[in-house]
Amino acid sequence: METQRERDTLSRLRVGHAMRRQVIQRVEKTPIVSAVNAMIKYKVSAVLVTNPEGKPAGVVSKTDIMGAYYAGIPVDTPLEHIMNGPPLFCHPKMSLSQALETMRAKSVYRLFVREDEHDSVQGLLAYPDIVGLLYRVCRNCPISLRHKRRQESPDNVARYRVFEVMTSEVKALEDHTPLYVVMETLSAYRFGALLVIDGSGVPRGVLSKTDLALAYRRGVSPEVPAREVMTPSVVGCPADALLEDAIRRMIFTDVHRLFVYGESPERVVGVLSLSDAARVRSGSCHACVSSRIRLEAV
Amino acid sequence: MKTLAKEVMSTDFETLRPDLPLSEAVRSFRRASAKGRKIFGMMVTDEQNRLIGMLSMYDILLFMRPKHIHIWGHMDDIDVEGIMEVACERARSVRVGDIMTTEVVTVSPDTHVLRVMDLMIKKHIRRLPVLDQGEIRGIIYISDLFYELLESLSR
Repeated sequence: METQRERDTLSRLRVGHAMRRQVIQRVEKTPIVSAVNAMIKYKVSAVLVTNPEGKPAGVVSKTDIMGAYYAGIPVDTPLEHIMNGPPLFCHPKMSLSQALETMRAKSVYRLFVREDEHDSVQGLLAYPDIVGLLYRVCRNCPISLRHKRRQESPDNVARYRVFEVMTSEVKALEDHTPLYVVMETLSAYRFGALLVIDGSGVPRGVLSKTDLALAYRRGVSPEVPAREVMTPSVVGCPADALLEDAIRRMIFTDVHRLFVYGESPERVVGVLSLSDAARVRSGSCHACVSSRIRLEAV
Repeated sequence: MKTLAKEVMSTDFETLRPDLPLSEAVRSFRRASAKGRKIFGMMVTDEQNRLIGMLSMYDILLFMRPKHIHIWGHMDDIDVEGIMEVACERARSVRVGDIMTTEVVTVSPDTHVLRVMDLMIKKHIRRLPVLDQGEIRGIIYISDLFYELLESLSR
């Protein structure tokens, strides 16, 4: 008989179902600039650093790149000088629930996947991969919102709304703020991006670690104001939007976070990130666990 | 049979600068291809004309590919029209140097063509810059090498 824990959607799914197989790797002597290019081109937030024999030695993330930029480290410095290590691994048969617990306990955003320490790296598991799999599971579920929308009958299953899942703390900086202050703020709050506002408090753009990595690569001084390197658009959604719709919007607009607004897009009240969505631990449906028990009982 | 890299390389090539916007690079590909040979990748050089990277169509497509495209197959009720226009708009701020491949394999003018063939196969390379003491002499395209090596077979 299944335990209650086993009925949790994420406990049923395995790392091997969600992981991506393409792992971007660079040898430890490779210059930082090469890792930045790989992160931009492959749209990943970290690269695996290996020793000359191809064995995993460490990880360089966009946070490490930002740290190097802040510290004034030249972009042609070898990755081994800024990497963190050793990388954390999980087994492909580990449940997603356990993998999430490990990520949370170790304060990391990704786990590399392999059978054992003698095995080569099989893949990588990060929050977007978990959300992607949940999204697929949710859409294929017989009681999913997608199916309900096609029916005339009222939907009596409680659905997650964005305001229930979002992070209410929104850190915004004015567009004249120098990049080094932006980096200090991102580091202090452990955020991936900040909202950039003008003098009247109106959102004008977003400044992410990706924007900073590009600025570092191009030799932009950390003294320049945020407006010169920010992405000049803010992708958002209303606070009462359904979580499933918000995730869909993130997927289609190629962003990792949405700025959540109240009455108007100019009044941002929270941030919804893919990691927030992953933490819900099921699809978009409040009743995911209980409804599955009900379905199994039939 | 031609046996050396300098005998099969092409000396008629265009190069890109790292600070060139991606939109200009795409135009350069189109312009270079209009001359006759289809160009799938170009060398990137600095102010002293030293090779600092390569940019291929594959590099550009990798960057343009939507991040979460693996999920799209499950989204049959979604209208994807306009997605590439949005992606192109976002790519406007990106430059050649931001996504070029910086680890470039090169050969010298006197490298044997069989060694060139071996390198292209092992490293999945379709074009190989030919450098002489750091100076660009030419570029070997896999199609030129192919026809050169297999000339007697097709005769």
